[in-house]
Amino acid sequence: MSTDTETQTSETEAPEKKDVPAKPKEQLPEFEKGLTDKIVTKFREKTQIAFVKPNRIQINVKKEDIKDVAFFIRDDLGFDHAESVTGVDHPDQKEIEVVYHLGNYTDPKLAKQILALSTRAPREDNPNPGKDSTRLPSLREVFYSVEFHERECFEMLGVYFDGHPDNRRLLLPEDWADLPPLRKDFNIKGR
Amino acid sequence: MSAKLPPGLALQKVDERIMTLNVGPQHPGSGHMRLIIQVDGDYIVGCDPDPGYVHRGEEKMAEYRNYITNIPHLERPVIHDSCNILYPYCLATEEIVGIEVPERAKYVRVIASELNRCVYTMYWLAIYGIFLGHSTMFMWPAGDRELLIDLLEKMTGARVTHAYFVPGGVRNDVPANFEDVCLRQVNYFEKRIKEYADIFYNNPILIHRTEKAGILSREDAIRLGTTGSVLRASGVDFDVRTKEPYDAYGELDVHTNVLKEGDSLARSKIPWMDMLESCNIIRQALEKMPKSGTVRTKLKPNPKGGDVSVYKRVESGRGSLGCYIVSKSRPEPYRVKLSVGSFRNLIAIPYLLKGEKLGNMPAVYWSLNYWPVEADR
Amino acid sequence: MSVIAPKFRVSEFLRSVLDNIFWIVVILTLVGIPLLQIILFYVPLPVYQGELINPFLTLTWISHPELALPLVKAFLLTDMFRIMAFPGFGFAALLAAGVIFVERKMLAKLQLRVGPFYCGKIEGILQLLGDGLKLISKEIIIPAKADKPIFIIAPLLFVGAAAAFVALIPVAPGWVVADVDLGLIGVFAVIGFFPIITVLASWSANSKYPFIGGIRALHQMVAFEIPLILSLLGIVILTGTLNLSEIVESQTNFPWIVFLPIGAIVFFIGMLAELERIPFDLPEAESEIVAGWLTEFSGMMYGLVQLGSYLKLYAFAALFVVLFLGGWNGPVFWPPLEETLIHEGETIGPLTVQTPGLPIFSMEFFSGVIWFILKTAAVIFFILLPRGVFPRIRIDLLLDLGWLKLIGLAFVNIFIALGLLYSGVIGPGGLM
Repeated sequence: MSTDTETQTSETEAPEKKDVPAKPKEQLPEFEKGLTDKIVTKFREKTQIAFVKPNRIQINVKKEDIKDVAFFIRDDLGFDHAESVTGVDHPDQKEIEVVYHLGNYTDPKLAKQILALSTRAPREDNPNPGKDSTRLPSLREVFYSVEFHERECFEMLGVYFDGHPDNRRLLLPEDWADLPPLRKDFNIKGR
Repeated sequence: MSAKLPPGLALQKVDERIMTLNVGPQHPGSGHMRLIIQVDGDYIVGCDPDPGYVHRGEEKMAEYRNYITNIPHLERPVIHDSCNILYPYCLATEEIVGIEVPERAKYVRVIASELNRCVYTMYWLAIYGIFLGHSTMFMWPAGDRELLIDLLEKMTGARVTHAYFVPGGVRNDVPANFEDVCLRQVNYFEKRIKEYADIFYNNPILIHRTEKAGILSREDAIRLGTTGSVLRASGVDFDVRTKEPYDAYGELDVHTNVLKEGDSLARSKIPWMDMLESCNIIRQALEKMPKSGTVRTKLKPNPKGGDVSVYKRVESGRGSLGCYIVSKSRPEPYRVKLSVGSFRNLIAIPYLLKGEKLGNMPAVYWSLNYWPVEADR
Repeated sequence: MSVIAPKFRVSEFLRSVLDNIFWIVVILTLVGIPLLQIILFYVPLPVYQGELINPFLTLTWISHPELALPLVKAFLLTDMFRIMAFPGFGFAALLAAGVIFVERKMLAKLQLRVGPFYCGKIEGILQLLGDGLKLISKEIIIPAKADKPIFIIAPLLFVGAAAAFVALIPVAPGWVVADVDLGLIGVFAVIGFFPIITVLASWSANSKYPFIGGIRALHQMVAFEIPLILSLLGIVILTGTLNLSEIVESQTNFPWIVFLPIGAIVFFIGMLAELERIPFDLPEAESEIVAGWLTEFSGMMYGLVQLGSYLKLYAFAALFVVLFLGGWNGPVFWPPLEETLIHEGETIGPLTVQTPGLPIFSMEFFSGVIWFILKTAAVIFFILLPRGVFPRIRIDLLLDLGWLKLIGLAFVNIFIALGLLYSGVIGPGGLM
């Protein structure tokens, strides 16, 4: 569980991936910094801290390591459920990014934090959902609550989740035969 | 019938003992979604929810409109509670664009949000009455709700789908004598809903039907990621308004109602207790509201932010509603995702209905505070 | 829609008049004369002042209305009047119509609405008339695969059974349509009819939802029949008779509810279940199975079923009053009329000359009827009240109630009655 009282002293210039670079010597929030330091110490170069803001942390992980990182986050840091799973399509980088927002209900200190765990899956131009290379390991064993969110991500973006018991359509009609709708190549008619 | 089925459909063998029921979209007891239930005698052995009948592609449409024109269509998923579903979107947009909301606007937002929460909860209670066959439980909430809709109409101009919240504040100021009218109506409303305790919640048949039906334990509630009244009825003290206060909630005194049993009776009581709490919040907000000031920060035309991604959440009538916006320096957001409370509670429906009696199905299903339109977006 | 009237021609007019005259004469001769012969030959006409009633007497009656009184009194004592008007169908139907209107209004006020409002000048009084006219004018749709003979007969059977039930209830001393010595057993027999008719009606419709509703109705009615009958055994034990009029007469000093309250409660709950009123309205649960076993009835068939339902309601409430609340007994609160008016004119039958004795009925009769109506109205009020207060009960709770709890309570009631009898407190013949 989180022991926040022994966080490190405030750091300056931590490796932030993106932020409006206003002041180079900016103080990062301590508690969040403590959490990210724990992750960095355990996983070193496998993870990449995207940003550390008050109450919000984002970590980028490769898809091979995401399950281990997720287990660590659940067991050691104490986040106990996933609030939502979002898929973002980046056609220019030929990748689909899946972001898991993790939260905590029981610990009062962690209750405000949301940790965004993001991975990327390769994107194909002619998708065949379920049978092409756009695959990610499913986090359902780690966080049970992602079951329906991952199904929606599968149907909307075509990302197949290995290990999910039921990769099936949820919101789209059963006879949908077009591109997964949230991809950027799928254009709404008339726009 | 051709041998080749369209993709997504499958043939299933009909079992002799287990009957598959379609509690479907055109059923007086289901709302606009379908539950495929497998029944063995009187016990439900399998449940497969099939939402998606009201899916409109809100998130896809949001990528084609800029931050301001996104507002009218993003509030449509829950028409009664429309302020609450726009709230995280507005908060996120304000952070992306980098503007501050004036003080008076924060309090007006709090009042509108609480009124919307009450309006939604009354509607939910009314439908709960119909599912249980209690016609008075339908008529009273539907009638008392009109008091609050009247207030909202004075405030925003529309009864439902107000399109009132904009990034930067609210669209227009409340009318001149609004504080007095609001106080009077809220006091009367509170008196009315206190009478519900006698006829609904102390009703022996209601208690008999909902007590111990669909018990959700505390660990399961946390593990399943449920939210809102479902979570609080299972003993978890979590409310975004107190844990992560936004706008003026930091200065108000919000009390969270928690019950421990986790059955349908507790889940049907918590929204009612929350409504009483909302009346308190509205009264406090009316007192503390700054008496004058602007309610809107003017935006430059076509506002846009940098390459950021923001996640904000708010407590709505169904639970915590989050909005994740990815922006890439264009007037349109790159990706908008609404993480709604109903979708997060969807996982509890098959989990709880397995093993329940068929007669308990309406009581358990609707007590999970599931609003099909919102879950489909 | 305006109809363009054809141009008036005298020949057409004369032709139409002659046409009408022709048809009237034809009908009068072909139908009227045989009817007259039948009446003259077979119907026993009363004898008045030594001669048979004949049309010339009507002219006398127009000038001296009081001479017609004995005929009216005689008519009031015939079976026909009893069946159609007073304790029978007319009275019950009028009360049933009143009950429907009161129910809608009362429920509306309870739910903060207004109820019927527009039909009729005062608060929607004529709403029922409007509904009745609407039902009569609607087309009767019979599903194609339905079992036609049974489907058509079922509502008629329902109304018939309800009317048979009404026929057994005494309203005033001597005023019963069917004064049967085994009146209470007759009541049980008729109550036992209703599940059969319901299942017939629902099964013959050949559709899923009526079938489910009919099965539920069968379960419900059968489960509650036994406690219903058992709860009345206490009264039979204590009065020693099954005749309903005698049961009422035995309550001249005290109603039976004082001694057997548990039986009254069991009977009341069983009554709610037999009538399919909320909270026991599973057979017509709207939010689950559309309208239950009434789904396929339309037009006047639905009207007949509703009429039968409300006749049953009146009959059950009247039965409760007769058995537990003392029937027509109650203090006579009008002063008796003067002697001359009464004693010189109260002979039965038109064979004796009457002085102008206008009171057709005695004061005791009137007060009896008034008390009966008041008590029945009170019971009906309590039957209508749960509709606004309770949700619908679940099937397993219903069966648990009917087969376990109520039978247990009914047996407790029988033991109380036996205890009262054998301890010598009360018995057939009043207090010991």
